[in-house]
Amino acid sequence: MTRAKLPPWLVLLMPAVIILAAVVLIPLLLSLYSSFTAYQLTRPETLYRWIGTFNYVKAASDPNFWWAFGRTVLLLTIALNTEMLLGLGLALMVSKVTRGQRALRTAMMFPMMFSPILVGFQFKFIFNDNVGLVNNALQSLGLTDVAIPWLVDGQLALFAIICAEIWTSTSVFAILILAGLFSIPQDPLEAAKVDGCTAWQSFRFVTLPFLMPFIYIAMAIRSLDVARAYDIVQIMTNGGPARRTELLWTLIGRTGYVDARMGYANAMGYISIFLAIGFTVYFFRKLTAARVSLGMGD
Amino acid sequence: MAQAATHRFRRRLLKALHFTGLFLAMSVICLPGLWIVLNSFRPTVEIMAKPPVWIPTELNLDHYRAMFGGIGQGGVPVLTYFQNSLIISVTSTVIALLVGMAGGYAFARYRFKGKATMFVALMASRAVPGVALSLPLFILYGRIGIIDTHFGMILVYVAMNVPFTIWLIDGFFRQVPKELAEAAEIDGCTRWQAFWRVEFPVARAGIASAGIFAFLTSWNEYALASQLTRSVNSKTMPVGLLDFTSQFTLNWGGMCALAVLMIIPALVLTFLVQKHLIAGLTFGGVKG
Amino acid sequence: MAQVHLRNVLKRYGGLDVVHSINLDIAHGEFVVLVGPSGCGKSTTLRMIAGLEEISGGEIAIGDRVVNDLPPRERNISMVFQNYALYPHMTVRENLGFSLTIAKRPKAEIAAAVAEAAEILSLTPLLDRRPGALSGGQRQRVAMGRAIVRHPEVFLFDEPLSNLDAKLRTQMRVEIKKLHQKVGTTVVYVTHDQVEAMTLADRIVIMRDGHIVQIGTPLEVFERPVNTFVATFIGSPPMNLLAGTVQGGQVVLADGTALPLPPGLQVADGRAVQFGVRADNIMPEGHALPPTAHMAYVEMPVTLTEPLGTETLLFAALAGTEVQAKMLNPRPVRMGERLRFGIALDRCHLFDAASGASLRG
Repeated sequence: MTRAKLPPWLVLLMPAVIILAAVVLIPLLLSLYSSFTAYQLTRPETLYRWIGTFNYVKAASDPNFWWAFGRTVLLLTIALNTEMLLGLGLALMVSKVTRGQRALRTAMMFPMMFSPILVGFQFKFIFNDNVGLVNNALQSLGLTDVAIPWLVDGQLALFAIICAEIWTSTSVFAILILAGLFSIPQDPLEAAKVDGCTAWQSFRFVTLPFLMPFIYIAMAIRSLDVARAYDIVQIMTNGGPARRTELLWTLIGRTGYVDARMGYANAMGYISIFLAIGFTVYFFRKLTAARVSLGMGD
Repeated sequence: MAQAATHRFRRRLLKALHFTGLFLAMSVICLPGLWIVLNSFRPTVEIMAKPPVWIPTELNLDHYRAMFGGIGQGGVPVLTYFQNSLIISVTSTVIALLVGMAGGYAFARYRFKGKATMFVALMASRAVPGVALSLPLFILYGRIGIIDTHFGMILVYVAMNVPFTIWLIDGFFRQVPKELAEAAEIDGCTRWQAFWRVEFPVARAGIASAGIFAFLTSWNEYALASQLTRSVNSKTMPVGLLDFTSQFTLNWGGMCALAVLMIIPALVLTFLVQKHLIAGLTFGGVKG
Repeated sequence: MAQVHLRNVLKRYGGLDVVHSINLDIAHGEFVVLVGPSGCGKSTTLRMIAGLEEISGGEIAIGDRVVNDLPPRERNISMVFQNYALYPHMTVRENLGFSLTIAKRPKAEIAAAVAEAAEILSLTPLLDRRPGALSGGQRQRVAMGRAIVRHPEVFLFDEPLSNLDAKLRTQMRVEIKKLHQKVGTTVVYVTHDQVEAMTLADRIVIMRDGHIVQIGTPLEVFERPVNTFVATFIGSPPMNLLAGTVQGGQVVLADGTALPLPPGLQVADGRAVQFGVRADNIMPEGHALPPTAHMAYVEMPVTLTEPLGTETLLFAALAGTEVQAKMLNPRPVRMGERLRFGIALDRCHLFDAASGASLRG
């Protein structure tokens, strides 16, 4: 009847660790292995043809890969920053509303709950050059009489994708920042007012530092599933036109499933995994640091 | 006096700006969804009309009828997809919750070496992009023979949901004071009883919202499902949406109808959990 | 019979000892208060008795059973927590009856026990409320009710009053004492508040840095503190301590002021000591208790006054040290006014300057 046997936390974490090992870790080890082979889906025997770092070298010297890589980083940078700013603005606006705030908050969460693939279709429809909502509206308002080729032009297509991405994910920021706004103690704000701070100053020096952990939580959550942009892009443009919206993830999907070159796809997949994990770890670090600086840590 | 007047003017201006901004933002958030709902009731000709028809002249249930009837051009086995989605999402959610509760409890209640690292490692496993993970899973599942089965999908979704469920549930359990379980133990409970009779009921609302979040993730997932499902055996609704597309055409109306079927449960559930969800996310995150 | 015995009880976290091999015997029906500054190990000791913390060494016995390896539920104890730890999802009635429900007692018996406890603590009108709808004092009473319902062998209290405001605290203190007189169960009570300790305890256990410094009745620890720590910890205001050296049967302070040794003390010349005197035993002439057999007189300038109504607390300076004194039948005193104070030497203390230990032996 002693209270200590196997450490209980280990027992409790075991199921999670086992499942993640089975479904994530082992497949990733397999893909790590296959990334050093010439594995092609259609020819199973190629799984055993060891070719060393050939796939990695090939990826590194493939301009298509670097374009996709750069475009992914660019898209994430633009999207995440815009989402954060818009989310902050939205949260500030909603926090000032007194009546019907609950309804607004709920409505704010809706885009989060849309399947990314649905978002893809939705925005494909909205940006359709012929019958899309955007062109119809622009034409009905008489702003233009040409059909703007939103999803056909490379630049515009990227813009449309970013719009869709922002539409789905701004609410993550808005909601968490709103939660942050509610949790800010009133005393420091009042003290700032008495000390003669302008509205901007008290926002900048009191509110914002308090919000930082919440912004980092949102960033951390977003970093966990940035790859869901894959679904959106896949539907809206599938990397086209002429690879102008190709992201790392669509490139991997195409190489693996369409071209059946699994080894090469896995090599690029690994690069995308490290990108994602690096992102996640970075924001968790930031979150811890922000927490410590506000004295909210353990 | 003049100063007071400027102040009053500025306040009014701010108020008007605030209202306009909010209105615009909310329109952008809500319109795409409403547009889908509206289109699901409109005949295809009207959706595709050029010049556009802004005010619907005719609303009917044709797309829904076609969808459920499995006839005509909308002959998509929607009910089977719905069933698959439901079975896979519910089962994987229940399992993810049980696993997540154990893990979340461990993080909330025990101190151990490398706890922070362990937490980030778990989260990082969630960060692996679905498409990158789907490649090796596709190979493995093919070997084991669980491609295009409910079991295979449930397994993937459990793994996908466990990290985030742990994050949320950790947050909820931390809001339950440790003393409650101690009091229960002194009142005669075993550790097990103390958990189920005291800690679990107190954190129940939060755990439910973690469950709903997991459910929605499975319900909406596409990247993995699109590779690991094949046929009506296991295709889920997000994958089923593609049935409305062919090489060059898209059946918008039918797709909208299926989309509505997907969104409605999501919206209802979101509405139910929004409060707890936010509390769980922020508590776990802020009070490290 | 429920005595509690602690034999060389030790608690170690990592490599750090937070409770050093303590010994304590608590008699049946005794009210023992563990008191000390935060971090002294008093709560850990209580939690070890409760079974919420493992014991790293030694032995704890409740009644005749060694309970070292028993989980809390088998120790037949109950505990009141600092933040009450009421089950928020249960009504007051369910909270009170929870331990009996767990023990699978018959419904009628539970109802009767709950009713009895509710009656004792006047909770009857609140039985169907949830803890969230109760005031602090009411929650406190429910927590106590939950403890008495199952008639345990020992009550454990962990700083139960520290979340209440001053007025309620005084009131609940009285209720706890009455409750103990009524049910007569052994009580172990932890607090950092010496007033609570003095007013409630049959015996006080003063702890510091994981050691027991002194065990005694409230009067013993007040009148015969074993060292300067106890002397300054127990009693309010804290005992004044004046550093000096013994010379020819007198304590000579830094400025040359000489105070006779308290009667009955023999200390060798040249020893560095602390002369201890409570505010109650140093009073200005004309506003003092009748003089005792051994008095000494000093003149001090008053630096600050705190009128308390029936008496005034005077702050004065002696040999560079601030001294607190009491003035009975107070009159207004000017700042800097020099008064002659009488010191009742037979109630004074002498401590070793280095170790702080009392020289009274």
